[in-house]
Amino acid sequence: MPVARAKRVGAVKTVRCTYCGKATQAARRAMSIFCPHCKKRLILEDYKITGYYAVREFFTCGKVVVEKKGHVVAPVKATTLTVKGKVQGSVVARGQVKLTKTGSLTGDIEALSLKVENGAELDAFLRIGASPPDTTSSD
Amino acid sequence: MADSNEYTTTIGPDAVFKGELEFAKGVRLLGKFEGQINSEGELEVAEGAQLKGDVKAASVRIDGKVKGNMQVSSRVQLSASARLEGDLQTTRLEVAEGAVLIGRCMVGVNGDAKKAAEVKSAVKGTGGIAIGKARAGEPAVVGAKK
Repeated sequence: MPVARAKRVGAVKTVRCTYCGKATQAARRAMSIFCPHCKKRLILEDYKITGYYAVREFFTCGKVVVEKKGHVVAPVKATTLTVKGKVQGSVVARGQVKLTKTGSLTGDIEALSLKVENGAELDAFLRIGASPPDTTSSD
Repeated sequence: MADSNEYTTTIGPDAVFKGELEFAKGVRLLGKFEGQINSEGELEVAEGAQLKGDVKAASVRIDGKVKGNMQVSSRVQLSASARLEGDLQTTRLEVAEGAVLIGRCMVGVNGDAKKAAEVKSAVKGTGGIAIGKARAGEPAVVGAKK
């Protein structure tokens, strides 16, 4: 007789596709999945940027931290973004965007909330809290 | 931020003010204001208050609605009930979750052409790119170090 495996509590999380914005389930430990709606690959990892990183697009359903020596030149989509270094490009975050005292950001920001510490540099068109951007959600 | 006692001027909730306002210490706006504000003091736009026009001040705390451009020398604080539509220039900015902010924003740059140029020129620099794979549960480290 087949043994039914009980689902572990918290074994799955809900993520929202960075491309089509639709929600889907993913294993908590999964690093990437394919969106069942638009068939595109979604990255679920958290990132820590410690050097120069220039890409066409930098989309993840996880958190992104740009360290002091980090320099990102790309459009960024993430759950939360913490900038201690430099970011150049448009940013879409479902949660908070935080610029620490050493952080610098040039581009557009669309996020739920924003914190800019004393000493940080920001030159951007902001859209904070106006409409919740569809990036990702985890439970 | 100034305490409520520190505001020497208060525009009451039933007041509608149109014109130019200048003050030295602090103003608490509870009603409606339309016009320009020039000051070296602190401005508080309380919850339910509305401000339409350009503002120049040392520090601003917004709980209500503001439509217009702002030039603040030290700090801008937006609480959860705040709504700001307009361009903003300041040295420190705090936006709470729930607040709405739409507009162009310059923080820390202070319109300094030199600094802005430095940020732009940084794009030209190139560096090695290495992508590190993360273990499950740890953030992937991306950077020049191998």
